[in-house]
Amino acid sequence: MTKPVHVLGAGAHPWGKWPNRSQLQLAIDALAMAIDDAGLSWPEIQGLVAASSRFEGGMGWGLHANEVVQAVAEQGIPCVNVGGACAAGAIAFQTAYSMIASGQCDVVAVLGAERMPKGFIPRPPGSQDDITDSDYLRWVAMGATNPAYWAIEANRRKHDFGTTDATLAQASVLMRRNAAGNRLARFRNPTTIDEVLASPMVSDPLHLLEICPVSDGAAALILGSEQYVQRSGKRPVHVAGCAIATGQFGDPGRRIPTISSTVSDDVSHTSEVTTAVQRALAMAGMGPNDIDILEMADNTAWHLLAWPELFGFYEAGQGDWMLNNGKLDIGGDLAVNPSGGFLSFGEATTAQAVLQVCELTWQLRGEAQGHQVPDARVGMSAVLGLGANGGSVILKT
Amino acid sequence: MQIPVAEGLFAVNGAGVQLIGTRCCSCDTLYFPQTPGCRNPLCRDKQLEQVLLPDRGTLYSYTVQRYQPPALFAMDAWSPYALGLVDLGHGLRVMGMLDDVPLDKIAIGMALKLSLRTLTTDENGQSRVTYAFVPDTTKDHA
Repeated sequence: MTKPVHVLGAGAHPWGKWPNRSQLQLAIDALAMAIDDAGLSWPEIQGLVAASSRFEGGMGWGLHANEVVQAVAEQGIPCVNVGGACAAGAIAFQTAYSMIASGQCDVVAVLGAERMPKGFIPRPPGSQDDITDSDYLRWVAMGATNPAYWAIEANRRKHDFGTTDATLAQASVLMRRNAAGNRLARFRNPTTIDEVLASPMVSDPLHLLEICPVSDGAAALILGSEQYVQRSGKRPVHVAGCAIATGQFGDPGRRIPTISSTVSDDVSHTSEVTTAVQRALAMAGMGPNDIDILEMADNTAWHLLAWPELFGFYEAGQGDWMLNNGKLDIGGDLAVNPSGGFLSFGEATTAQAVLQVCELTWQLRGEAQGHQVPDARVGMSAVLGLGANGGSVILKT
Repeated sequence: MQIPVAEGLFAVNGAGVQLIGTRCCSCDTLYFPQTPGCRNPLCRDKQLEQVLLPDRGTLYSYTVQRYQPPALFAMDAWSPYALGLVDLGHGLRVMGMLDDVPLDKIAIGMALKLSLRTLTTDENGQSRVTYAFVPDTTKDHA
C-alpha cells in the first residue's frame, strides 16, 4: 500500500535571460524559496531529485542534484538525477513521489533549473553523421527546424477543422493576457490578434508570437508525507495522480527529430502525453470533468487547441470554439495555462514541468496573485519531451 | 558528380528516385529510413529486409520554412522553401522538401512523386543532392 504524498512547498526563480547568474545559482535560489515555502530547512530534506540538463551544470555528467548539495548542504542524502529532456521535470516529480509513497523518505525535493544556449539548440556531440541519426538527417536532408514540425501539425488542423489564422493568434493573445498578472513570466505585455499576425512568419502558418522561445529559469518543489502536511500552515495540496509514459507504436504525431512515421489509425496522437494523462486520471479516480486547471506545454499556439482535445476534455475540433468563446480563460470552464504558459515564459526545458506543478500548487492554495483561477480545486499538468517522454501530475486541495 | 546528403537514404536507378527503407516481413510494417529493429511490440519474429519504398504519394500536410536553418543544412542561394509530410501508403508518412510548386499553390491531398534536388554545387562541379517531392502530373488525387 502506497502512502499519500503532498506538495509542501513551491518556489521559482523568475523566467528570463540571466547572463550573470549561473545555472547552479538559479537552482539554489529556487530550492531555497521552496524549502522556505514549506516551512522547512535543509536538514529536514531527505532526498533531492533533479532534472538533468545537457546545457550547463551537473559537472558535465548531469549530476545536478549532487552539485547543489555540494554547494549548500552536504548531508548524506540520496541525490537522484533523471533524464527526460523537456519532460525531465515530470520524471523528477514522479521519482520523488515514489520515494515518499514507498515509505522510504518523508521529505524529498524536486528541482529543474536551466540556462538555455542562444539561438538553435545545438546537436549533441558524439552523434553519428549517417542515417542512424534522425537529428542528422532532418538537418542535412531538409533543414527541418522544430517549428516546422509543429507547423505541419497546425496546417493539418486548418485542413481538418477549418482552424483560422485568427484563432491560432487568439491562443497567443490568451497566454499573454494570463501572463500579464504573473510576476514570474518573461513576456507580460498583452498583445492582440493583429499584432500576433503581424509578427514574422516563421513556419507557415505559425508566426513568431505563436511559438515559444527559450529562456533561463528554475523551479523547485518539496514533497512530503502525511506527518509534514501541516508544517507550513498553508492550505494542504495533495498529489492525486502522477504518471510518466513513452510513445506508442503507430503514433501519428510528427515527432521531433524523426523524418518519417509509421502510423496506425487506432493510436492516439502524442501518445506519450495522452498515456501519462490517462494514467494520472485513473490513479486519481477522476475524469476530465473533474479538472479545473490545465497547465500544459504550449510550445506553439497549435498545442493549445489540440492537446485538451487529445486528453478528452472535449471533442476533436472543438478547441477553436472553446478558445474563441472564453471557455479556456481564467474563470472559464477549463482554465488553460493561467500562468501564461510556455508562450509567455519561454521554455527553460528541464525546469518547465516543475514550474507547471508550482503554478498548480499556488492556484490551489489561492496564492496565484494577479492570475488566480476562482475556486480552483483540482489542477493537471501535461508535458512532452524528446525521446517520446510524457508526464502528467494531478493535484487537489 | 552528385553526392547524396547521406548514404543509404535513397537510390537513383532506371525507375527514378526511390527511398530506401526497411520492411518487417513478420508484421508487414514499412520503415524509413532503414531501421535496425521492428518497433511493433506485438511483432515477435522481427525479420527485416531492405526495400525500395513507393515513389508516389499524397500530401498529408506541409509548411514553408521562412528562415534559414542552422549551418548543418547547406543550400546555395537560400530562399524560403516548402517541407511536406507525404503519405506513401501502408501507414508510412515521410517528410521532405517540396519542389517545382509555387509556395501558394501547395494543397493538402495533392499527388506527389519523388525527385532529386540539388542543394549545393562546389567549384569542381560536385553537387550535394537530397530527395524531394514534386507534383505528380500523371495523377490528380486532389
